[in-house]
Amino acid sequence: MSLLKHVIAVAMLVTLTAGTAGGQEANYSREGADTCLACHENEAVLPLFKGPHANPTDPNGPFGHGQLQCEACHGPTGDHAGRVRRGQERTAPGIIFGANSTTPIDVQNEQCLGCHSGDTGFGWHGNDHDLNEVGCAGCHSSHVAKDPVLVTATQPEVCFDCHQQQRTQSLKPYAHPIRQGKMDCSGCHSPHGATSELQFAQQTLNDTCFDCHAEKRGPYLWEHAPVAEDCSNCHDPHGSNHPGMLSMRGPMLCQSCHSQSGHPSLPADGDGLPGAMPSQFMLGQNCLNCHTQVHGSNHPSGSRLMR
Amino acid sequence: MRQNNALRITALAVLLAPAAALAQVDTSEWKCEYCPFEKGYSADVDAGVNYVSDDVARFGNGTGMDEIGAEVDLGGNGVYVSDGTRMTWYAEDLGLDSRVLDITVGKPGTYEIGLGYRELPYRLFGDTATVFTLSDSQTLTLPATWVTAGTTSGFTELASSLRPQNIEKDRQVIEFGATYLPTSKVRLYADYSRQQRDGVSIMAGSRFTQSAYLPRPVDDYTDRFDAGVRFLAGPVNLALAYYGSFYRNELDSLTWDNPFSMVPGAELGRLALEPDNDFQQFSLSGVYRTDTFNTVIAFSAAMGRGEQNDKLLPYTINSTLVSLAPLPPTLDGQVDTSNYAFTLTSRPHKRASVKLSYRFDERDNQTPVTMWSRVITDTIGSGGPEANVPYSFERARLNVSGTLKVFDTLSVSGGYDRTDLDRDYQEVAQQSEDTGWGKARWRPTAWLEATFKGGASRREVEDYDTDIAVSLGQNPLMRKYNLAYRYREFGELSLSASLPEKPLSVGMTWFYADDSYTESQLGMTESNEDRFTVDFSWAVSDAASIYVTAGTEAIDAIQLGSETFTGPTWEASHDDSFTHYGGGFRLAAMEDKLDLTFDYTRSDGETEILFAGQAVSPVPLPQLDSTMDSLRLSLRYVVSARFDATFGARWERFEANDWALEGVQPDTLPTVLTMGASPYDYDVWVVGVGFRYKIGADTD
Repeated sequence: MSLLKHVIAVAMLVTLTAGTAGGQEANYSREGADTCLACHENEAVLPLFKGPHANPTDPNGPFGHGQLQCEACHGPTGDHAGRVRRGQERTAPGIIFGANSTTPIDVQNEQCLGCHSGDTGFGWHGNDHDLNEVGCAGCHSSHVAKDPVLVTATQPEVCFDCHQQQRTQSLKPYAHPIRQGKMDCSGCHSPHGATSELQFAQQTLNDTCFDCHAEKRGPYLWEHAPVAEDCSNCHDPHGSNHPGMLSMRGPMLCQSCHSQSGHPSLPADGDGLPGAMPSQFMLGQNCLNCHTQVHGSNHPSGSRLMR
Repeated sequence: MRQNNALRITALAVLLAPAAALAQVDTSEWKCEYCPFEKGYSADVDAGVNYVSDDVARFGNGTGMDEIGAEVDLGGNGVYVSDGTRMTWYAEDLGLDSRVLDITVGKPGTYEIGLGYRELPYRLFGDTATVFTLSDSQTLTLPATWVTAGTTSGFTELASSLRPQNIEKDRQVIEFGATYLPTSKVRLYADYSRQQRDGVSIMAGSRFTQSAYLPRPVDDYTDRFDAGVRFLAGPVNLALAYYGSFYRNELDSLTWDNPFSMVPGAELGRLALEPDNDFQQFSLSGVYRTDTFNTVIAFSAAMGRGEQNDKLLPYTINSTLVSLAPLPPTLDGQVDTSNYAFTLTSRPHKRASVKLSYRFDERDNQTPVTMWSRVITDTIGSGGPEANVPYSFERARLNVSGTLKVFDTLSVSGGYDRTDLDRDYQEVAQQSEDTGWGKARWRPTAWLEATFKGGASRREVEDYDTDIAVSLGQNPLMRKYNLAYRYREFGELSLSASLPEKPLSVGMTWFYADDSYTESQLGMTESNEDRFTVDFSWAVSDAASIYVTAGTEAIDAIQLGSETFTGPTWEASHDDSFTHYGGGFRLAAMEDKLDLTFDYTRSDGETEILFAGQAVSPVPLPQLDSTMDSLRLSLRYVVSARFDATFGARWERFEANDWALEGVQPDTLPTVLTMGASPYDYDVWVVGVGFRYKIGADTD
């Protein structure tokens, strides 16, 4: 970085901050949004006025009475909107949003958090997205009528831009109804930050699963220890090749932990298929053919999870 | 993006300016005359008709399109703005079992009230059959002509008694929420939802050595409450929240006629369905920011209690077995949860940052331990007294990491994670896992980024208590994989390039993890996972864009088993793989009057399980596989400023080979009466025509 750039930058900092403190205005445009729209009245900008940001009756919104309109987010644009001499390049507005912007991500995000720290930005600082320099505008589109990341059907594709492996998993034959557009990532994860592991929407992984699958919460009279501890001991919630989103085909999944006396741990090979000696231990629901209460039983005689 | 300090300083200056400037800038002449603010009412209303080419339950899973024929398709969105009040609505699939409707009304910046309704269809099988009939809400009966037998081959009335029974459920969710902002620093919110489920699922009703698949009715609901307040007080943000979830099952049990020959008194079987339960939690969380080293401290503390006091069923429905210990009326089940978290992130230098986090989760099962008798499957009064086991655990996680920006283009990170887990009543009372990792991130330009992360972890168990294992009848050589010693290596690489001048982006990720359970003689001994993905998108012009995505995942595992209750006698190697690829394009033509979108996805899943060892037959298992092709085409033509004509087509083909279902008729298994489900195999077209009508000044 050249010395000249440093000098210019520091000079701007001093000028802008000192100027505001001293009662002089920063170089804002002469007519606010009207100045901007003189050039930017196009399809990339106008949908902004169908969304929540451009609401003149919201006193705290960018277009509320006395607010700074476009410059509330983009910073002073007086220089950007000013006359440009022949051969001179127009200066950029103070803040440009997006992953490829020259405006640093943390600066972009602070601009958003200036208004949103009380709601979605509450736990932003220090969360994994913040630490990995994910910009608000990397996920959110503010110049549209309906932000795609706020619509269940379109949100996952926004997340999959970075989380590509989860896209692959969501297409597996047994998965939550994400590819059908009926479930989104934020049903389980809190992308704006949480102190939970993996930014779960609830305190723990199990609490998050129980939010929709409350029938499995119990406590049961007869519990299955790995269920009480961690649902992902047996399930792959992003998708699996196996029914029930199990991480492995039964009965082998059960046999990874159980080798029982009087109940031989038989290899589930081709001998047990129809046409040979059909095995109740491997066909249909395999172990669950009898131990149907694998998530727990509340029957006094249900200690073997059969009742 | 390259972090340019000059830009950062400039931008910070710009950032600081608006807040300070708000009171300074004279905006009295900022008329916003060219701002097309919304006024009055405007809406896009979608209506049409879809034709579904076949009755396929599985295709209807999530979509609601499980029946052949024409279906009305209604949806849209709208907004009404007046005197500071804003009302919006959004609807999709109103003619289907997957319908969604959301309505919000409020005064932006002051309050908002929302009401939502959605349905989610769960369709598992459409080709299943049962001999049972639901005689009341929780009793399944056999036909009067049913002839019992010791095995399914003796069910002489089976063929004449079978009747179709789809396995499907519907989930209906009603949501109501409100937010109120008395000041810009305080936010109050309260949300309520009810999730109701009804339908039929499969549940096995077992006898001593036999079992029958039951079409189990589902009729339950969960009420959920979320309420809280958030305060902004200078550098401190605080939130106080309440969460309550109340599950209610309208059915406490399921009783069925035993189809197999039975000893006198065991003509009926009964199992318990999921009991009602309550869970309530209070939490306090906060964030504190200080300019000292640009530090952020976040914390949360939550305490919860789960209770379950459903009335207990008797030990048995068998009236011939009466000499059993008396039962308490309810379990008096109680689980207390505690969750504490603390995170500190700091940037003591412009090129360095550190993070320290600690999290503690506890599940403390306070359910009283009682001695219980046991009747084996309503047939044999035996088993002797045994105590219930209220599992509890404490889990503590510590993470320390740091990042150093070596150059403007390169940053390196490293970290150490430690997890300690204490349990009650399980083979491993204490285990710990230590993980070390490193990461490098290279951004030579604003449009190119590469990241590599790698590390290793070791899970140690203090003592695998084989006495507990033996007391439960387990082979003492078995090591449950979530309790076993494990060494893991992992690595991750990602590359992304995005050219803003030629809107084109390419992304690639690769991940691998290799697990070794070297101290396990039985159970899982090895597992490894490889994933690779690549994405490409290109905005060819303002009117056209294309994209391609692909990914593959392979999960391999080896486990050892013993059918002789000694050392390993067989080995199973699992080879799970999954691949998908797809692409599509968007095209606007005819001066933006025509919008065309096309998407195609192909996915293939395969699982091969190979057995080896002295006890293994030479008959190999067939491969489990599934293939799905999914194609979507949509076309929109702008007829006038208010009217668009739409056309859509969707094709999905799914084929699967699954030895667990293939050829398994209701009487295939001698001792299990199944419902005869088949592997998924379908080919469905959906074709639809419709229109979008635009209402309101928006289109003038």
